[in-house]
Formats: sequence, C-alpha cells, structure tokens
Amino acid sequence: MPNRPAFLLGIGIMAVSAYAAIAALAWPLKTALFPLVISIPLFVLATIEVVSLWVSGARFSTTKDFQRPPAEVPGTVAALRSLAAAGWILGFFAAILLFGFLVAVPVFLLAYLRFQARESWLFSIVFTAVVWAVFWGLFDYALHLPFASGMLF
Amino acid sequence: MIEALFQGLLQVLAWKPLLFMLIGIVLGFWVGLLPGLGGATTLALMLPFIYGMQPIEAFAFLLGMHSVVATTGDITSILFGVPGEATTAAIILDGHAMAKKGEAGRALGAALSSSLVGAMIGAFALAAAVPIVRPLVLSFGSPELFMLAIVGLAFIAALSAEGGRGMLRGFTAGGLGLLLSMVGQDPQAGVARYTFNTLYLWQGLDLVPVLVGLFAIPELVDLAVRGTSIAGELPVGKLTKGALEGVKDTFRHFWLTIRCSLIGTFIGIMPGLGGSVAQWLAYGHAAQSARTAEERKGFGNGDVRGVIGPGAACNSKEGGSLVPTVAFGVPGSTAMAILLGGFFLLGLVPGPDMLTTHLTVTFSMVWTIVLANVITVTACFLFLDRLARLTSVPAHRLIPVILVLVFIGSYTTNNQYADILVTLIFGAVGWLMVSAGWPRAPFVLGLVLGKIAENYLYISVARYEVAWLTRPVVVVLFALAVVVIVYPILRARRLARREANA
Amino acid sequence: MKRAVLSLLLVFWAAPLLAQDYAGKTVTIVVGYKTGGGYDKVARVLARHLPKYLTGKPNVIVQNMPGANSLIAADYIYNIAKPDGLTLGTFNRNLPIAQLTHVAGVKFDMRKFQWVGSAASESTVLAIRDDLPYRTFEDLKKVPADKPLIIGATGPGANTYDFPLLLKELLGIHLKIVSGYPSSGDIMLAVERKEADGRAGSFTSLTPFIDRKLVRPLVRSRASEPGIEKLPVDESFAPNARAKAIMALRSAPEVIGRPYVMPPGTPAAAVEAMRQAFARVIDDKDLKAEARKQKLDLNYVSGDEALKVINELLDQPKDVVDEFSKYIKFGE
Repeated sequence: MPNRPAFLLGIGIMAVSAYAAIAALAWPLKTALFPLVISIPLFVLATIEVVSLWVSGARFSTTKDFQRPPAEVPGTVAALRSLAAAGWILGFFAAILLFGFLVAVPVFLLAYLRFQARESWLFSIVFTAVVWAVFWGLFDYALHLPFASGMLF
Repeated sequence: MIEALFQGLLQVLAWKPLLFMLIGIVLGFWVGLLPGLGGATTLALMLPFIYGMQPIEAFAFLLGMHSVVATTGDITSILFGVPGEATTAAIILDGHAMAKKGEAGRALGAALSSSLVGAMIGAFALAAAVPIVRPLVLSFGSPELFMLAIVGLAFIAALSAEGGRGMLRGFTAGGLGLLLSMVGQDPQAGVARYTFNTLYLWQGLDLVPVLVGLFAIPELVDLAVRGTSIAGELPVGKLTKGALEGVKDTFRHFWLTIRCSLIGTFIGIMPGLGGSVAQWLAYGHAAQSARTAEERKGFGNGDVRGVIGPGAACNSKEGGSLVPTVAFGVPGSTAMAILLGGFFLLGLVPGPDMLTTHLTVTFSMVWTIVLANVITVTACFLFLDRLARLTSVPAHRLIPVILVLVFIGSYTTNNQYADILVTLIFGAVGWLMVSAGWPRAPFVLGLVLGKIAENYLYISVARYEVAWLTRPVVVVLFALAVVVIVYPILRARRLARREANA
Repeated sequence: MKRAVLSLLLVFWAAPLLAQDYAGKTVTIVVGYKTGGGYDKVARVLARHLPKYLTGKPNVIVQNMPGANSLIAADYIYNIAKPDGLTLGTFNRNLPIAQLTHVAGVKFDMRKFQWVGSAASESTVLAIRDDLPYRTFEDLKKVPADKPLIIGATGPGANTYDFPLLLKELLGIHLKIVSGYPSSGDIMLAVERKEADGRAGSFTSLTPFIDRKLVRPLVRSRASEPGIEKLPVDESFAPNARAKAIMALRSAPEVIGRPYVMPPGTPAAAVEAMRQAFARVIDDKDLKAEARKQKLDLNYVSGDEALKVINELLDQPKDVVDEFSKYIKFGE
C-alpha cells in the first residue's frame, strides 16, 4: 500500500460517516438534516478515496499543507523515533492523570531531558527547575488556574 | 468628527494612558506568546484593575493588551508550529514551514509587518465605520450570514490541491470537519448529537484543543524524528538576516496585504461568524492569488504570502470586531464580551451614543490599537534576532518544553482532562493527514463554519421561508461562492491544456 | 443560674463563628461557566468583597469549570470537592429542573448540597421592539395568527426559548420562535434589523437595550426585580391550574438566580459562617457600587429559603413533570 496513512484515513472516515448517518436516522428531521446531508456524501467521497487507492496504488499529490521535507532520515529510524515520541507524549499524559500537573511536569521534563535527550544530570535538573518555576509561578500562583490533582496524589 | 479624531489622539498621548497601554502591551505580549494563556481569560482577570481609571486609561490598558495578543501569537505559531492562540493557526502552514527552511527571520518579519498593516486597517475601519457601520451591519441578516458561511466553506476548494485527487481529499477533509461541528446539543430540538452520553461533548468540540492537537503534535513528532533543530542544519547567521526581507515582502505584495486586511476587518465586523474564520479565508485567498500551478504548490512549503495573509487578517479582525461591540453593544467574541463589561464598569453605554456623544472615546480606542501595534511590532523587531535563534536550539531541548505548553494550552481551555485527550486524538489525526498528504485547512474550515451555517439556514427559513433566496446580497454572495469553487478547477484545466499544447 | 444558662447559650451561638477561622487559607468559588459570563461576573464581584466578612480575611479566588451547562461543575462540587468549608460552587440555576426531568449526567441531589443562598434573583421578561404597536401584554393577545411576532432564541433550555414557548403553547399568544442564534447579543442585532421582533431573556441582560429604548418589556415571570415590579406575571394569565403549575415550575429556579452551594457534608459551622458572610457582603456598600456599575442586581436569598424552593420544585407531582417535559428540555 503506497500511501497507508491515506488508506487509514479513508477507512476511518468511512466508518465515522457511516455511523453518523445511521445515528442521525433516529432523530427528528430538523436535527438530522445537516448531519445526513454531510455524512452521506462524505461516506461516498471517502469510499472513492479508499477504492482508488486500493485499485491504482496512486501516489499522493501535493497539497497546500506543509510538506514533510524529503526524507533526511531513513525509514526505519524515522518509524522508531516516531514511536518513541508517541510513547513520551502518551506517558506524559498518563503521568498527568495519575499525579496531577504539578508533579507530572517536572518529572516528565527531567525524565525526557536525561533519558531521551541524553543531557547531563546538571543540565536536566537546572532546566527542569527553571521551567517548572516559571510554569508554577505563572499559572498557579499568579493566575490560580485550577490544576486538579491526579488520581494518586 | 475630525475634531474628535484629534481629540482622541491627544487623549491617548497623555502620560497616564500611555503608561497603562505599555503595561497592557507587556502583558499581552506574554499572553499571546504562551499557549494556555487565553486572551479572553486574561482580559477578564484584568477587569478589576480598571476600577479607578478614567475610560481612556482603562481602554488604553485593555485594548493595549488585547491588540497585541494576535501579533505575538503569530510568533509562537511560526517558530514552533504551536498555535499561540486559536486565531493564529493558519499562519503555521507556511510560517512554520519557512522556519524549517531556516527562514524564520523572514517569516517573522513578514508576519509582524503584515500584522501592523492589518491592525491599522482594522482600526481605520473602526474610525471610518462611524457613519456607515449601522446600515452595513443591519443589512446583513441571517440569510446573508448563511451565504457568507457558504462562501467560507467554498474556500475549501481553494485550499485543496489541484486536480481531481486533490479536490477529493480537500472536500473529504472539509466534510469531516463539517460533521464534527455537528457534535453537541442542536438548537432546534435540543437533541444531543453524537455526544456518546458524555457531558464533555454536550456543547460540542472546543476549537483550541483540536487545533493544538492537529497542528502542534505532528510538528513535535516530526521534530523528534528529524532530531535536529527546527531550522535543520542551516548555519545560524542565515536565520536572522531575513527580517527585513520579510518586511519588504509585505510591501512587495501590498495589495494582497490590503485585501486580506479587508477580509479580516469584514469578518470582524460581522458578529456571529466567529473570528477564527478570518485567518483561513485570508489564507485561502492568498493561495488563490498564486498565478501558476508551480506557485500554488509552494503554498504549504513556505510561501511568504501564506504568512502575510493570515497575519494581516488576524489583526484587522480585532479592530473590526470592536465595531459591533461599540456601535451596537453586541460583542463579536468572548474578548469583546469582556470589554463590554469594561464599558459598563466605566459607565459607558455601547450603542449609537458611542458614535455621537462619546465619539472621542471611540477614537481614542482606534488610536490605542494603532499605537499599541506600532509599539509592539517595533519592540518585536528588536528581539527578532533572539527569537529566531530559538529555531536553532536542538530539538530535544525544545520538545519537552513545547509539549508542556501544548498540554497546558489545551487543558486550560476548560480545565478538563478530556481536552488533553481530544488534543491527543486530533494529534493522531493530524499526523495521519500530514503523512498522507491531506490538507488540514479545509478540515478546520468545516469545523468552524458547520454549525454556524446550519443555524443561520434554519433561522433564514423559519423567518423568511423561501423569500430569502432572492435577497440581493444573498444572490451576490452565492455567485461569489460559485466563483470561489469553480475558479481553481477552471484554472487547473486551463493550465493542463496549455501544457498539453506546449 | 440564669446567667450561666445565658452565657452557655451565647457560647453555643457564637461558637460556630468563632470556630471558623480562615486566616491564611484560600476559599475557592467554582463557577460552572467560562470567564465573562453572568455567573462568572457575579462570582468575581463576590470574591473581591467576601474576605472582609470572613474571619481571618482569606484569599477568595474564582475557578472556572465550564462544560455541559455547568453540569460538570455541579457534579464536581457534589462528588469530588472536599467538604472542608473552603469550596463553594455556583452553577446554572436550572439544574434543579435537570434533576427533576432526569437528565443524563446529573450526578447530584440538589437537596443534599449545603445551601449558602442565592446572590440574585433573575427574572425573565419578554421584550419586543419599541416601534411595534403592541405596548402591553393585553395587546399581545391581538397579534394575528397569520402574522405572528418573531421571537429570536438561542436554543431549547435557554430562557430565550422556554419563556416564549410557554406563552405560545399555554397562553395561546401568536409567537413564532426562531431558534439557533449564536448568542443573545446576536438576537438583539436581529431585532434592530427587524429580522426578529423581540426576545425573551433575563431582565439583567436586557436592561441595556431597554434603557436604550430598543425594546420594551411586556411581561415577566414570577420573580420580581426593581424596575419591572409593575409588569404582569405570565402565570396570572394561565387558563388552568396545570398551565399555571408548569409556568411556575419553569420560573421557580429564578428566585435562586445565582445559586451558591457547598459540598454535601460540609460542617455546619462552616456553612453558617459562609451564609452570614454572604448575607452581609451583599449589603456591603462597595459591593453594591461595583455591582451597579457592572449592571448586576444582587439581592440575598437565604440558604433556607433556597432549599425550600428546591424542595417544592422537586416535589412536583409526576403528571405535572411529564407535561412540563413535553415543552421544556434542559439546555442552557
């Protein structure tokens, strides 16, 4: 499959629009009108995309979005790094849920700097301290934004 | 009226209002820069401070702060690909791409100067609007607003790539955005649509977490993959010389800047459309101004016009949105609603009075916007070098900080963890879209305009039945929408024919 | 002996007040809406002046927890917030109706909150454009069926929609409700454009437009506010007891227009201290001046009275509730 992301998106949108259309059938006319008018053509469009990808194995065309620069990084390395990045992002989210922002932020910063970025302990600790101080000072102390505590702390 | 114009200027130039304006500017600078500090929330927090002040001082403070937010939000968008504010997302497409090519300085220069021009035009609109604003706003009823939303949606075509496949993807993305805008309680029967029984989705998807996820997360992953700094391997010196170049760009494409400023002003004046549309329409318009297929492919890759358009539109919109607030007492956005509160606090009643008895105050607001923007842009230029250098900081130091800001930015919208989840989900969607070469701009357009179009359609039909279809402005707008959709298709065909014959 | 009893009573009466010392602590008011809205404004005004009336002058801050028309905030106060006397919540006044009509997502029981009271009554009025020939409520009955008055609304559940709906359905006034406007401000623009003929809404939000003579109020709901005392009340025109009960039910929460509660289980001393602070702060000179400037009309309704209204509301017989649900859905 030459353009697997496109294929995945297409399938995903087919599923979403099919669900949307079916769910809308249960509603009164006025409520359902727009969702139906949107989801049915959307389903058709997504199906065309999926089918044409499947059949012709087409290349993707250029768009007005930003292009990924020509691969400076070989495929497998790129995949591994993407996975690692995703892992860190999800891990940070989990940390926030479990420990709350105030704890998760410095823990994450420290962990990332030391283990992913391979910075020295000194740099990691100082950097974390500065960023965390700014963050706490601004968002908590000055603005009293509510950062709910996590599930454990 | 001319006298009030000068009076307004003189009053702003007194030392107290100037001082407050400066304080407001400093505050606004950081608010715009940091995702997570919303302009509206901070405005609300500042309201109590204006108690003892005279109206002119108070507005110097509030407006000084508010006018600056859009400008500095552009900086975060360009440098890091993270929308500093919901209204500065469009500029990421080309602005950040330029930063990745090492042209951060140029992008910033173009953004700042076009912001300044936009702000001037927006402020000028507020001044010039005085005689004509009431008839103008009053002639745009719900049918016209519906058509305007349709014109906006038509820009999906302009933002898609050329050719059949490009259009297909653009419209699919747009359709998905439209569908997602339907989430929430519908205003006709009160049915909860697509909420999956969660309270969170009751009022629909919030724009900021979606935008932050859609744009910032793929950028972060990309940065992690490339492993270098944002600007790649380019030597540091090259980054900074660009600022002046960027300013020249704004003037090179002067008419584009003006047109986009007018688009932004117009959207700002029309309450009920939502301000975040302006940047996308300006971007679409800028893309359409490319003359050849080659040029159009450049958009999304770092065409400076993709920076100028949204930059100008965002700032002009602010001046424009003051118009309905001041002239009718109807706020065009949350920030304006808070400003309205400020009006009441100071004993002013927005409405026709502001355009007659209190004209001086109105003009002082105009001058505040102008001055605040001039000061900010000048100050930014002084720091531009240092700011642009951030793009040569190694990625692995920037990523964690940006990620923290992203999460905070998304969380503080509603103080809900669910918002972060939304950011992550749309981060995945955004990443897929970038990998697949699908455009994200149509998706955002659909998301922003979908519900608005639906609401105004129902109002129009309920109120006028079928008669609204023949209203003159409606017909004109419909023609405009058709042109917007058909033009790229025709041009592509013409070019293909030309190439076939060559 | 008598003196001993008296002093003992004095100690018991004063003890709650003495026991509650807020020095060095922070009191949080959780608001179920975003910054800038009516509920938020009231909360912030209170937050600024409350410290004077709480022993130890604590810091009082406002935290916004918007979402699901403040259902999320209410659920939070009921289930998650700690009953330590330092947390208050304010939310949509119509939440008792949400509970009554078994809206999904209601995870609280209004009766079990510790009621501090209400900071204002928010009466709903119907106002129509000043240049229309209908000048009193009686005139409205003359509106012809084929040319009804166009009333703009935001959506079901909001008073912009519900109030005129009941007027139309139960009193037979010929109104056409056009729903979907993004905000009440947009409806006012539509009125100016003559796209709409009027709107219903809280008197507070309509005041600037009434003062400007864009619209004129014709009828109000049961809660009275200075300026509209003389307006006829919608309920008084009800053709039968059932209709009257339904209208009364819709208006009931308006007396507790800005409800303030503390989590269930908050110690009585803390609740009492807060109630007293509230009662006094709303009478405070500075607060009144500030409120007036912000066009907020505050008046204290005690916690007991609020609870009474809640109980009355929740005790409505099933048939009234069923009929009510046919017209009114929980929304804004």
